[in-house]
Amino acid sequence: MDSSVPRFPVTYKSLSLDIKGNKTDVVLCSYDDHFLVIATQIGAMGTILHARKEEGVSIEPTFNVSAVFGKRDEPMLLACARQLIQHISISGSSRSLVISLGLKDHSAETLKGVVSAVIENRLW
Amino acid sequence: MAREEPDVEALNEAISSALVSNDEVKEGGGVQITCFSEVVNDVALHFQILRLPKQIYVWIGCDSAKLGRIYAAAPTRPKDMISVTSILGGASDNTGAGIARRLVLKTGLNIILACNIPKNSPMLEAEAEKMLVQKLIQLGYTRAKAEGSSS
Repeated sequence: MDSSVPRFPVTYKSLSLDIKGNKTDVVLCSYDDHFLVIATQIGAMGTILHARKEEGVSIEPTFNVSAVFGKRDEPMLLACARQLIQHISISGSSRSLVISLGLKDHSAETLKGVVSAVIENRLW
Repeated sequence: MAREEPDVEALNEAISSALVSNDEVKEGGGVQITCFSEVVNDVALHFQILRLPKQIYVWIGCDSAKLGRIYAAAPTRPKDMISVTSILGGASDNTGAGIARRLVLKTGLNIILACNIPKNSPMLEAEAEKMLVQKLIQLGYTRAKAEGSSS
């Protein structure tokens, strides 16, 4: 009986777009406790960053963004993750974000393209 | 001339018939996503396989849809040894690290594995790995074994 096989619990979306002439595949997944975003132009996941909101004593939340795999200290990638976790927080979710960026260049224009594509297709 | 059209139609038919299965397979550009769920001893196991040209991302969910611990595994030169590292979720238990390692062996690709199978469930881990590998073989993501080799 079909009812015995559980429904797949993760919502996800996959799309492809062009950013500065580079074909970019974007995948978004919504897990119970995390959002996963993958944006790749190089056929691999690239650098993986983890961004989370920290509820502190003050009214304003603080965010912790770090690269956990791949290129550390790439400011544009950290900025991209920071923008997205902030957007998630403003939308009312306190889930963390795991974002992997495999991009051919780390220019502001490329990162902006990624951020807007993700926000346009967001799962939060 | 409409000469090109029949070829495109035939190709479309071939592709759509190949994709017809009980599981959901989505293709968005260069990414293939395969999702399926199974029940093992009253426990629901969920699998999500994301195939990128040079890498495979896999999520294994055990009852819940939490992301779990993330491991990265890759073949490292010069001797084709496999390296595994924990990226997220701590490494106090290695549920999933072994699976990641063996996936690299079977596929020859870099693997990112997210797994929320609880600690101390070796049977569940083994079942999950078995189902996952079966699916990978079915999808054609594994590389052909050299004849006469033992795994």
